[in-house]
Amino acid sequence: MPPLEPLDLARLARELGVAESRLNALSRREFLLLSAGALLVAGAAACRQPVEEIVPYADRPEALADRELLWFASSLPRAGYGRGVLVKSFLGRPIQVEGNPAHPESLGAADPFAQAELLALYDPARSQAALRQGAPATRSEVLVELQAALERHAGRGGERLRVVTGTVTSPTLAARLAALERRFPAMRWVVHEPAGRENVLEGARLAFGRPLEPRLRLDRARVAVCLDADLFFAEPAALRLAREFADRREPELGAGMLRLYAAEPAPGLAGSVADHRLPIRAGRVEALARRLAFLVGAGPETGRLQEREERWLRAAASDLRARRGSGLVAAGAWQPPAVHALAHAINAAAGNVGGTVAYAEPAEARPARGASLAALAQELAGGRVGVLLLLGVDPAYDAPADLPMGSLLARAPFTAHLGLYVDDTAERCLWHLPAAHPLESWGDLRASDGTASIQQPLIAPLYAGWTAYEALGALLGERELSAHQGLRRHWRRQRGGPGFERDWRRWVHDGVVDGTSLPAAALSPRRPPPPEPSPAPTPAEEPAAAGLEAVFRPDLRLWDGRYARNAWLQELPDPVTKLTWDNAAWLSPADAERLGLANGDLVALSLEARTLEAPVWVVPGQAVGSVLLALGSGREGRGFSAYALRSSRSPWDSRGLSLAPLGRRRELACTQGHHRPEGREPARAATLARYRDDPGFASSAAHDPGPRETLYAPSPESSERYAWGMTVDLGRCIGCNACVAACQSENNIPVVGKDEVLRGREMHWLRVDRYYEGDPEAPRVQQQPLACVHCENAPCETVCPVEATVHSREGLNEMVYNRCVGTRYCSNNCPYKVRRFNFLQYSDVTTESLKLGRNPDVTVRNRGVMEKCTYCVQRIQSAKIAAERNSRDVLDGEVVTACQAACPTRAILFGNLLDPGSAVSRSRQAPRLYGLLAELGTRPRTRYLAKITNPHPGLQERS
Amino acid sequence: MNAPGGAPVLAPGHTYASIADTISAIVLAERLGRGWLAGFAVSFLLLQGLLVGTAVLLVQGVGVWGVNVPVAWGLAIVNFVWWIGIGHAGTLISAILLLLRQSWRTSINRFAEAMTLFAVACAGLFPLLHLGRPLRFYYLLPYPNTMDLWPQWRSPLIWDVFAVTTYLTVSFLFWYVGLLPDLATLRDRASRRPARVAYGVLAMGWRGSARHWLRYETAYLLLAGLATPLVVSVHTVVSFDFAVSLVPGWHNALFPPYFVAGAIYSGFAMVLVLAIPLRRAYGLEDFITARHLDNMAKVMLATGLLVAYGYLMEGFVGYYAALPLERFMLANRAGGPYALAFWALVATNVLAPQVLWSEKVRASPWALWVVALTINVGMWLERFVIVITSLHRDFLPSSWGMYYPTRWDWAIFVGTIGLFFCLLFLFIRLLPVISIAEMQGLLSHEEPEAR
Repeated sequence: MPPLEPLDLARLARELGVAESRLNALSRREFLLLSAGALLVAGAAACRQPVEEIVPYADRPEALADRELLWFASSLPRAGYGRGVLVKSFLGRPIQVEGNPAHPESLGAADPFAQAELLALYDPARSQAALRQGAPATRSEVLVELQAALERHAGRGGERLRVVTGTVTSPTLAARLAALERRFPAMRWVVHEPAGRENVLEGARLAFGRPLEPRLRLDRARVAVCLDADLFFAEPAALRLAREFADRREPELGAGMLRLYAAEPAPGLAGSVADHRLPIRAGRVEALARRLAFLVGAGPETGRLQEREERWLRAAASDLRARRGSGLVAAGAWQPPAVHALAHAINAAAGNVGGTVAYAEPAEARPARGASLAALAQELAGGRVGVLLLLGVDPAYDAPADLPMGSLLARAPFTAHLGLYVDDTAERCLWHLPAAHPLESWGDLRASDGTASIQQPLIAPLYAGWTAYEALGALLGERELSAHQGLRRHWRRQRGGPGFERDWRRWVHDGVVDGTSLPAAALSPRRPPPPEPSPAPTPAEEPAAAGLEAVFRPDLRLWDGRYARNAWLQELPDPVTKLTWDNAAWLSPADAERLGLANGDLVALSLEARTLEAPVWVVPGQAVGSVLLALGSGREGRGFSAYALRSSRSPWDSRGLSLAPLGRRRELACTQGHHRPEGREPARAATLARYRDDPGFASSAAHDPGPRETLYAPSPESSERYAWGMTVDLGRCIGCNACVAACQSENNIPVVGKDEVLRGREMHWLRVDRYYEGDPEAPRVQQQPLACVHCENAPCETVCPVEATVHSREGLNEMVYNRCVGTRYCSNNCPYKVRRFNFLQYSDVTTESLKLGRNPDVTVRNRGVMEKCTYCVQRIQSAKIAAERNSRDVLDGEVVTACQAACPTRAILFGNLLDPGSAVSRSRQAPRLYGLLAELGTRPRTRYLAKITNPHPGLQERS
Repeated sequence: MNAPGGAPVLAPGHTYASIADTISAIVLAERLGRGWLAGFAVSFLLLQGLLVGTAVLLVQGVGVWGVNVPVAWGLAIVNFVWWIGIGHAGTLISAILLLLRQSWRTSINRFAEAMTLFAVACAGLFPLLHLGRPLRFYYLLPYPNTMDLWPQWRSPLIWDVFAVTTYLTVSFLFWYVGLLPDLATLRDRASRRPARVAYGVLAMGWRGSARHWLRYETAYLLLAGLATPLVVSVHTVVSFDFAVSLVPGWHNALFPPYFVAGAIYSGFAMVLVLAIPLRRAYGLEDFITARHLDNMAKVMLATGLLVAYGYLMEGFVGYYAALPLERFMLANRAGGPYALAFWALVATNVLAPQVLWSEKVRASPWALWVVALTINVGMWLERFVIVITSLHRDFLPSSWGMYYPTRWDWAIFVGTIGLFFCLLFLFIRLLPVISIAEMQGLLSHEEPEAR
């Protein structure tokens, strides 16, 4: 008889969910007990907890019978602030996130973060069960333990009870937290938001004596000055601001066209489209703001700054004075309160208050008795915390390095963490509870203007997660109240009345609770801006001895790290560096040259005795002397965590960073290998003055020789009803990647991982090319979204040996996946290189949860076939079917491609070129229209509108 | 027959019997030599690269290679063109030189043809393996199907399918028809029954009657006539894969003649690389004489100059046309990330053959062998430069990239070299490497008294 295999205890322990040490001392009884338990669990895995109020249809609604796509309004948070979304649902499964046009801070657009929530919902790596010290446990156990802990450890009036949340804008959750504060009068509610807006509110307190949120209106602005303010990324109202910006950049406005000034340490979205971008250390922005205040008459005289800064300032000041009332100065949320106070003073002096800027109560809820994370850390260290609840936060990962939250958590006798993932904090807490994803829970959120939206679940919680509301209910002893009931109760109290049910349905349907936006008032600062600190920090020259400046900012792809587990966002190329799957320390070209560093070189960064190993990336336009360390990476071995260098005293920038080359390299996966247009002018631009002289500058004869004579009949016969075409307005594009994320979600585009991106095999059908021109220290930036341009005379079609890529009668260049054998000749012959090939099996066709999120109208491609943009042919087809049911043609605006729908700036137009009234046809009349590589005779159906910039005539255009 | 002013194509003193003895002895009489065994073992080892590489490729997908976007074609296509080029010499020697009555071809045509077949077999693997879905290769063939679809006739890849399969078929027929009298000779001389049966079946009942000879001569001449245009057409069509596209560096009207010249160039180089050791190992210096080597060296020199002219013209036209993309392509070849490959190509393909102007070098088999090998490397580099450097930086700078071959790229390339030599070693052992009948024909012309 063969010997029995030794029992793999480690594996058994993992599967049974008990500590390995327990297994070693297992008695026969215990063994049988565990075996029986395992059997039960295996059987129970097939069960889903019955969910309230979801019952099978007695009469199936027609829409479901037709497998029709349904849209539901909801709201998704980023750093606590809601952005209204519409979620596409197919047979009860959310499959796509788009913006809600009825929402004032979304206006129909959706940023990549909102869109990628879809993947997070179905992420198989999400936390799926409650854990007690890492071992599976039940909810009732945690409730029992929590009650016991409250009695034993919370102290009188909850003086040893602490609740940590991120920024809370949800009125219902805020009300519940307020109730909690009433119930435990001595407790503390700690708001921990790694990239929060304290500086904005503190700045307003300096100026107005109380925390206020400035409401910016670019739609009324003719000049805007951003002081380290990335209006199109960092602001909660980024989507609205981007839209307003784009609308004010129409060259037809002539002299009324908005002019944008940006001073920032690291290139951002707003800086990349600014007419005058000034790279400047973050620590110098205050000096710049003081000087600007002086120049517009809002402050005392200050010393002169460097010549390039003075020129920028004089131009900005003259514009602000000349366009009194239609100027706007915005200070970034990462700048100290003084800069905000200065911005308020400048806006008041320039007459902008009441026009382009007004002030409103902040939308975020403030604790009655708050405490900072630093105070919490002190209390934890002193053993003064008995019960600690962490709701949707991960301070063990994202607290500043001087607050060792990870080790301090163990000091509290009872710690519980609610989160989507078993993250660093969850691992160090006594209890971890799986959170419900925003797409599977009831709730409400406010946008930055205060507008409240109802969050409705699109699917029953996949893993029986809790919402923060329900978790707090456990503290209040209101366990039976579900999030849904609590939400309705809150709103009934707020807006109750006879018509409540009707109102409620409307709010849920529209995604907006009307009348909830906070009134904004034209206030003038009560106080002058605070005086300059005594040693004047405005030298004309930089003291080199002070070392480099470390600048901490949310990552353009991952925000503060809460999206770092999202593969779509990890693979989304950074809008500035085009890096995926990694972050890097951004260095200016001059600093890199001085230090002898190149892209990917590893360096040891040290700041205040803390050190960190990081690769560097040379970023044209990065301010000399400033090193950007994007927050949010460093999870699961991807990139480095900049939190390791961040301190709670100066969370956004600190001087004294030193940088020592390590002589090693790390391969970084960048999707664009070359950054200069090499004189080929793929993305064309001109100043307003040049555009006036020569409106057709973009389509000179050299570029577009016009139709060529041919003996061949146009093939195939074209349709007489539809000719689809797209126009991309480069003047409106801010390079925010929303289109790329939308395309990925709509078209089931797989992620390929860092190794494959390194090999040049990313699959995005739509990419945003970014070119630099001019001085590497202050380059002109061109963004150019590029997908298949659907050539009428397509080079790919003639070389395919098997007719796998063919032309439709409506002008689409179509891919027939079933027919493709993968010669890849089409890709070689495509001058735009927009075709993507499945070199390996990229689509995950085995993970069940991911299948739920796929678009059922789009084929999931397998290994060995070519793919590319289809102009969202599935959307065209469904619009045509709907139109044909009504015996009419598709109307303009009925086909909206995914990229077009997501675009915050409406830079993408799509429609029928045979309809002379369609928006896309009208755009074809614009003189700045041109075809990319049209000189090859490809006759692309996607055309571009050249970008028109509006530089100050007195400032020489950056060259 | 003594060529005017040259060495003889057949050493004096041979009779019908001595020719047949010498050549057939390699197959029938000799035991497996150590050299043969060692050579075959090494080739077989290399062949494993192909087998393992193909297995990995079929299991994991074409992504195990270094190909990407923009460089969607990599070593597979480089190797394909290289092997096809090598396969040119056989037909050229057999058909064109036959029609031109160049009797010196006789002693080298048999194994040149075999080399052609094996090279084309190696070449043919690559387009199949490089497909994303290799099992669907038959979509490229015009066969009746329920989808009612034919191949897309405008694609040069379809022309390729026809050009290469036609070439393979005609080359095989030509080689086989030429083999018939010799197979009969082997049948008659074989001492063991299995060999007699095998050669007998393959000889298809050849008895050497006058009628047989008449038909044979007619068929052989007709096949030569058929094969002649193929020498020009195959590489012309292969060059269309590039010339018909619009990639700068590919889109070039010069490609067809310059590819054909390059093919003959590399084909002759490969014949020399094989013939020089072969004649030494099997004592065939009497049949493959210094005259042959000299003639082949001259053909290499001539075609090498044509190829060099092609490079020159490519540069000149690119410069003269003043198209920015063409000029950039040229500058990128000479100074871009793959500049090393380009300058190595110039050294091996343009400079190295210039030594062939010297009669001394042409008379030294080993010097010739080194030059021929260098040229084979050079022609591989030429295809690498054309395929890779043209693709890696094309129209939009944003999509520029790099291509690095992976170990599986190399494994399969080395594996086809193994396959080629395995087949060649088997051929040497199983079939007469020199046409006995045709050599005897030479004799009848030259030394009637020996009859």
